[in-house]
Amino acid sequence: MSASGSIGGTARREPHTPESTIGRKPDYLHAESTLRSWFLTTDHKRIALLYLASITGFFVIGAVAAGVVRLALIVPNGAIMTNDTYNKAFTIHGVVMVWFFLIPSIPATFGNFLIPLMIGAKDLAFPKLNLTSWYVFMAGALFTLVSVVLGGVDTGWTFYAPLSTAFSNTWVLPALIGVTIVGFSSILTGLNFVVTIHTMRAPGMTWFKLPIFVWAHYATSLIFLLATPVITTALILLIAERAFHIGVFDPAYGGDPVLFQHLFWFYSHPAVYIMVLPGMGVISEIVPAFAQKKLFGYRFVAYASIGLASVTFFVWGHHMFVNGQSDLASLVFSALSFAVAVPSAVKVYNWTATIHKGALRLDTPMLYAMGYIGLFVLGGLTGLYLATLAINQHIHATYFVVAHFHYIMVGGTVLAFLGGLHFWWPKFTGRMYSEPWGRVSALLIFLGFNVTFFPQFILGYLGMPRRYATYPAEFQLLNVLSSAGATILAAGYLFPMLYLVYSLWFGRKAPANPWNAKGLEWETSSPPPTHNFLSPPEVPRIPYDYPIQAQESRDQHG
Amino acid sequence: MSERLADGVGVARAEHFESVAQQREAATLGIWAWLITELLLFSALFLVALITRIQHPEATVAAAKHLKFWIGATNTVVLICSSLTMSMAIEFSRMGWQRAMVRAMLATAALGGLFLVLKGYEYYADWDEHMMPFLSNRPFALAETPAARLFVNLYYVATLLHALHLFTGIALLLGMTWMAAKAGFLARHQNWIEVYGLYWHFIDLVWILAFPILYVVNR
Ligand code: HEM
Ligand SMILES: [Cu+2]
Repeated sequence: MSASGSIGGTARREPHTPESTIGRKPDYLHAESTLRSWFLTTDHKRIALLYLASITGFFVIGAVAAGVVRLALIVPNGAIMTNDTYNKAFTIHGVVMVWFFLIPSIPATFGNFLIPLMIGAKDLAFPKLNLTSWYVFMAGALFTLVSVVLGGVDTGWTFYAPLSTAFSNTWVLPALIGVTIVGFSSILTGLNFVVTIHTMRAPGMTWFKLPIFVWAHYATSLIFLLATPVITTALILLIAERAFHIGVFDPAYGGDPVLFQHLFWFYSHPAVYIMVLPGMGVISEIVPAFAQKKLFGYRFVAYASIGLASVTFFVWGHHMFVNGQSDLASLVFSALSFAVAVPSAVKVYNWTATIHKGALRLDTPMLYAMGYIGLFVLGGLTGLYLATLAINQHIHATYFVVAHFHYIMVGGTVLAFLGGLHFWWPKFTGRMYSEPWGRVSALLIFLGFNVTFFPQFILGYLGMPRRYATYPAEFQLLNVLSSAGATILAAGYLFPMLYLVYSLWFGRKAPANPWNAKGLEWETSSPPPTHNFLSPPEVPRIPYDYPIQAQESRDQHG
Repeated sequence: MSERLADGVGVARAEHFESVAQQREAATLGIWAWLITELLLFSALFLVALITRIQHPEATVAAAKHLKFWIGATNTVVLICSSLTMSMAIEFSRMGWQRAMVRAMLATAALGGLFLVLKGYEYYADWDEHMMPFLSNRPFALAETPAARLFVNLYYVATLLHALHLFTGIALLLGMTWMAAKAGFLARHQNWIEVYGLYWHFIDLVWILAFPILYVVNR
C-alpha cells in the first residue's frame, strides 16, 4: 500500500498529473493509505475528512426522518402512520440534524481543515485531543442512535421535562446520554480552536489579518466553551431524574420544569449561533473571492462575529414568552432579541456591499452564497416577528416557528456548508467537480427549499400548530405543496453527493488556487502536504488582498 | 527562551510547534479554557441551589442542617492539604527532585482518597437518616416539604459530580506518577506536572465553593 504514495505510483495512476506536482512529496491524502493511518491520524486535515464522512452519514439519516415526517403530513387525518411513529420520526429528525449535523458541521469539518492552514500553522495545538474529540463525537452519536434501533424517542429534540423524565415511555435515556457525550466533543473542538488561534499564528499573522472565517470560528469556539457546559449540567440533571428519580425539574419532586427550559435555552439559543456563525465565516470567504473584491468593512464583520457571540447569551428567554415567565423578563428578552438583528444585519450589508461593483462570477460556491444571503435575511426578519411579544402570542409553537428556524438553519447553515464544500473541495481532495452539475444542484436546492418552507409561514400564520400528526383539512393544500418541495430538495441534495464522489476518481486535477482566491490556504498545493506548507507561507499585507479595492480608505478607520 | 529550567528538567518540543515557549503557552491556555468550562458545569448547579435557598429559605435550611457539617469541614481541610502537596510536587519538579516529587504526588493522591472515604461515610450517614429522597424503600425524612427534597437532590448531584472529578483526578494522578517515576521524565515533560497541578487545584476550588453554598449559608 505504501507504494501508492510514491512518485512513480502517482504518475501512473494519474494521467492528468500537472507538471508541477511530479517529484513533489506525497500530499496528506497519499502520505499513508492504511486504514490505521486514517483512524489513528492526528493530522487535522484527515480528522476533518473523518468528520465530513460521519456528518454526511448523519445528514442522510436526518433527511430520511424528515422525509417520513413530510410523508405523514400529506394527509390531514394521520392515516399514513400512527401518532407514535410520527412523534418518533420528528424527534429523530431534530435530534440528529441539530446535535449531530448542524452543530459540528462547519466547525468540525472546514474549521478543522482550514484554521491551521489559514493562520499558517502546521496543525492544531492539540492534535491528539482533536482525534479524541472525533471518537467522543462518534461514541455519543452512535449511543443516541441505539435508542432509535431499540424503538425510538418521542420527546422532540428539546427533551422538555417532565415529558422526558416522567411521562415518555420511549428510549429517552440512551438518547440523552449520547447527546451529553457529544457535548464534550464540542467543548474539546472549541478549546482546540481557541488555543490554536491564540498561540499558533504564523509570524506576522496579526489578529486583524485573520480571515473572517477564523474570526467566526473564534467566536463560535467561545460559545462552545461557555454554553456547552450548561447544557451538559441540564442533561445530567435530566438523566439523574429519569434514571434515579433525583428530581430537579419535575414538580412531583419539588422541581421546576421552567428551570429546565432556562438551562436548555441558555445553551440552545447560543447554539443557533454555533450553527450560523461558521456559515457566516464561509460566506465571508466565498463572496470576496467571486467578486474579486476586498471584503467591505473587514473590521466591522470581525467585530460583528464577537458581538453576535456575546448578545446571543442574553436572549434565551424569547423561547419562553408564553411559559409563565414574568412580563418584565419577557420585555427585556424581547428588546435584547431585537439587538441581535444589528450585528446580523451588519454582515448582510457588508456582503452585499462587497458584491456591489465587483467582478462577479456566478460559479457554484457563489450561487450557494447568494442563496444563503437571501434565505438568511428572510429567516432573520421573521425572527423579529417572533421576538415581538404580541405577535409571538399568535404564532408561537406554530409552523411559523418551524419555517423561521428552517430558513435560518437549513437556508443558512446548510447552504453555507454546501457552498464551502464546493469552494474548498479542490483544496480538500485535489480534484475539481463538475461545474454545470454544481450550478444545477444549487438552483434546485434553492427552489426546493422555498417550495418546502415558505408555505409553512402561511400555515403557521393561519394557526397550524407544530408537532402534531394531524391537522384540519383546510391546511392540506399547503402541506402537500410543502411535501412536494421536500422531494425537490431531496433531489438537490442527492446530486452533490453523486458528482462530488465521482470527482474523487474522475475529476480534473485541481491547481493550488482554482478560484484566484486570497488567503494562506490557497498558497499551498491542492491537496496540501502533511504539515501544510513546504516552506513557511508569506502573510499578506492586508486581509482579502483582492484586485478590486474600493472603500479601502474608509475601512482603515473602521 | 531556554528549554531548560534546571539540570535534567525541561520540555521536549512536539513536531507541530515552532518553539517550546509556544508549546507551553498552548498547554497553559488549554488547561485554563478547560477549567472555565468545568467551572461553568458546576456553577449552573450552584446557581440553582442558591436560587432554591432564596425562594424557599426555611425548607432549605431544614435540609441543610441534616448535612454533616463536620465531615464537610474536615474534607475541606483535607483538600486544602492536598493542594499544598500538589504545589510541593510542582516545586520539586522544577528543581529536578524527582523522588521528592513522586512522593508529593502520592501524598496528594492519598489525601484525595481520604476525601472520598469520608464522603462515602457521609453518604452512609445520610442514608441512615432517611435523607435520600430518591429511594422508594426509605421514606424521606423531610417529605412534607418539596423544596427540601429539591435542595437535597441538588446536593447529591453536585457532590457526586465533584466526587467523580476527584476520582478521575486520582486515577490520572496515579497514572502520571507511574510515568513520572521513570528516568528522564522530567527532562521531557515537566510541564505536564504544572498543567495537571492546575486541574487538581481546580477540584479543590470547586469543593471550596460547594461547601459554603451547600453546608454553611443560612445555617
Ligand atoms: C435575528 C435573529 C433571531 C431572532 C430575533 C430570533 C427569534 C426567535 C424567537 C423569538 C423564537 C421563539 C419562537 C417561539 O417559540 O415562539 C425563535 C425560535 C427559534 N429560532 Fe430564532 N431568532 C433569530 C435567529 C435564529 C437563528 C440564527 C437560528 C438558528 C441558526 C434560530 C433558530 C431558532 C430555533 C431552532 C427556534 C425554535 C426553537 C424551538 O421551539 O424548537 N433563530 N427565534
Ligand atoms: Cu433563541
